[in-house]
Amino acid sequence: MKIKKGWYALFTMPLMLIFIIVVVIPFVIGIGYSFVTWDGFAKHQADFVGFSNYTKVFRDERFLRAALRTTIYTLFSVLSVNVLGLIFSLIVTTALKVRNFARTMLFVPYLIGGLILGYIWKSVFSEYFLSIGWGNWLTNATRAMIAMVVVTTWQMAGYVMIVYITGIMAIPDDVLEAAKVDGAGYFQTLFKIKFPLLMPSFTICLFLTLSNCFKVYDVNVALTGTGPNYQSEMFSLNIYNEIFDLSNFGYGQAKAIIFFMIIAVITLIQVSITKKREVAM
Amino acid sequence: MKMKKTLAFFLAATMTATLALEGCGSTADSGSKDSTSTSGESTESAGGAEEGIEYGKVIIFQSKTEIMDQLNKCAEDFTEETGIEVEVWETSGDSYFTDLKTDVSTGKGPTLFSLAPGSESVTMADYLEDLSDLSFADKIAENMADEVNGKMVGVPYTLEGFGLVYDKSLVDPATLNSTDALISFLEKAKADGINGLGLSQEDYFLIMHILNTPFALQNDPDAYLAQVLAGTVRMIDNEEFVEFAKVMEAIRANCTNPVDLTYDNNCGDFATGKTALIHQGNWAYGMFKDYEVEFEMGVAPLPIVGNNKVAVSVPAAWYVNTDASEEEKASAKAFLEWLYTSETGADYLMNQFGFIPVVEGMTSEKLDPLSQSVADAAAAGNTIGWSLSNWPAGISTALAPITAQFFTSDMTGEELVNQLNDAFVEAAK
Repeated sequence: MKIKKGWYALFTMPLMLIFIIVVVIPFVIGIGYSFVTWDGFAKHQADFVGFSNYTKVFRDERFLRAALRTTIYTLFSVLSVNVLGLIFSLIVTTALKVRNFARTMLFVPYLIGGLILGYIWKSVFSEYFLSIGWGNWLTNATRAMIAMVVVTTWQMAGYVMIVYITGIMAIPDDVLEAAKVDGAGYFQTLFKIKFPLLMPSFTICLFLTLSNCFKVYDVNVALTGTGPNYQSEMFSLNIYNEIFDLSNFGYGQAKAIIFFMIIAVITLIQVSITKKREVAM
Repeated sequence: MKMKKTLAFFLAATMTATLALEGCGSTADSGSKDSTSTSGESTESAGGAEEGIEYGKVIIFQSKTEIMDQLNKCAEDFTEETGIEVEVWETSGDSYFTDLKTDVSTGKGPTLFSLAPGSESVTMADYLEDLSDLSFADKIAENMADEVNGKMVGVPYTLEGFGLVYDKSLVDPATLNSTDALISFLEKAKADGINGLGLSQEDYFLIMHILNTPFALQNDPDAYLAQVLAGTVRMIDNEEFVEFAKVMEAIRANCTNPVDLTYDNNCGDFATGKTALIHQGNWAYGMFKDYEVEFEMGVAPLPIVGNNKVAVSVPAAWYVNTDASEEEKASAKAFLEWLYTSETGADYLMNQFGFIPVVEGMTSEKLDPLSQSVADAAAAGNTIGWSLSNWPAGISTALAPITAQFFTSDMTGEELVNQLNDAFVEAAK
């Protein structure tokens, strides 16, 4: 028993150490910064302002609009990513001849970084669409949002597909056979047997997509930027611009802390709801 | 069997996912510095280096990406001639100031770096070394060296100018002498099926440069800017800005929508004769080298309120990091001495980098047509300044979204000017 614990420690310690150094410590320092006004230069004075950075956030119209926009974007993206990912996984777990090839192809977009993906799609939505007379989608608020959802779906669907595939593979054949013997059709099997048994996968996928979509940054930067009248600016980009373009380190940090709390609350609620619905075999 | 296969696939998937994550990590850090180091073996001194002084390694970090290759060679030559080691950090240009700020703040910054003289150098004043003891300090052309708090801290790179870059086969710049003349030309160009005046979607090319002209045309641009920032004057009450608004409306009505054009497209259209004028500067000539451009071109003023002057100033200057060790600072100064006074250094500045001379005694024989046009304007004193260097740092990210909205909606020119005005007041808070 003791030896086992030692092994655990050996493998987890390096990771824990990295996590503490690059996540926990900067996070705690960041909380400290959120109480001052500072322009980021070590030689310049940081003035303590208490909670005023936090109260300012709720009067910042540009930030609140970015927050609402991100929420809408997340709703649509989570839905489309998961629906499409699930459909893909169902297709490539059938006796399809090209299923291994299809899996690889569907997963490939995830391997391309978000920035590169964003730039590639940018030329599709602006230059190519202009050339075929559809107009520039990225300068229209609604269409730019649709473009964001499309690119996110294209990038993430293959990834959640992999998670769903493992879930589907883990369903024992005997359960499915029993259902078949009892005369259950395809959709009955799907909704009554497969989906309940896939609940752990749903928990993971929803968590991943929810938090990733809320945090979206690279695709936002590369594809739309802030856009006319900040119409395409999401949470993370707003915080980045506040800190690095406008040099308000303290205020930007306060936004980031609030942003963190929102994501934490939402994802925790989601995980606890989906966990409850998981069934034990 | 099946279990094994699943496991293998999942393992492979996780591995590739990790790879992808790592990939993200490195792309996200877009300012990452690939360092090219030229190590100095010999330690004999020559050129800029003096006997009896200890020299450290010079780390150069600068924002002018178009001279990067030549600068690397230049650093090698410097090392060969003086024995002082040089390392050049590279940047993609986009996040240069942010990266520099971070590096300098943590005390691990470069020894020698570039800034735009103006609000950037004022913000970083605490980090800038006094350079008035350089031997050529008093030979720098008048008002070109950057002085902050009475100290000479910045050595200018070159002169740059912007305005209406024209294609003489499509438009005679002499006819563009007033706002009305420009607007009627744009209308005529539309009727002829060419793009009259091209702006492009990047912050500086969309609004920053063109908005500089009405500011710079004020009697005292700095005082006027201070009043705008304080909110005591409104831009719209001023004739220059009213005419600026008219020009912007005419661009929206008659030209290709700037938000649909990138810098590359805009320059490409100009080089191939599809666009008559672009609001650009002499740096754009590098883009035209790739095309076989046969028409005559030059930089003309943006003629609001009859303006006949081109906006010319120093886009960047060299600064030495005051927090570097004495040895490193000595080396950085030696590098500047060498670059501006030795034969090899001057050859790099004039011929390899293509700079317009800013130090007395330096001449350049092979300027490109646009730079020649800027140099002529500067020699004749036909220039206005770059008020934009003194605008609040980061203001471009506030002005560009407003302008992009102007070009994609039916907002009036007056509303545009008022919203830009509000952004200035907001940024000054």
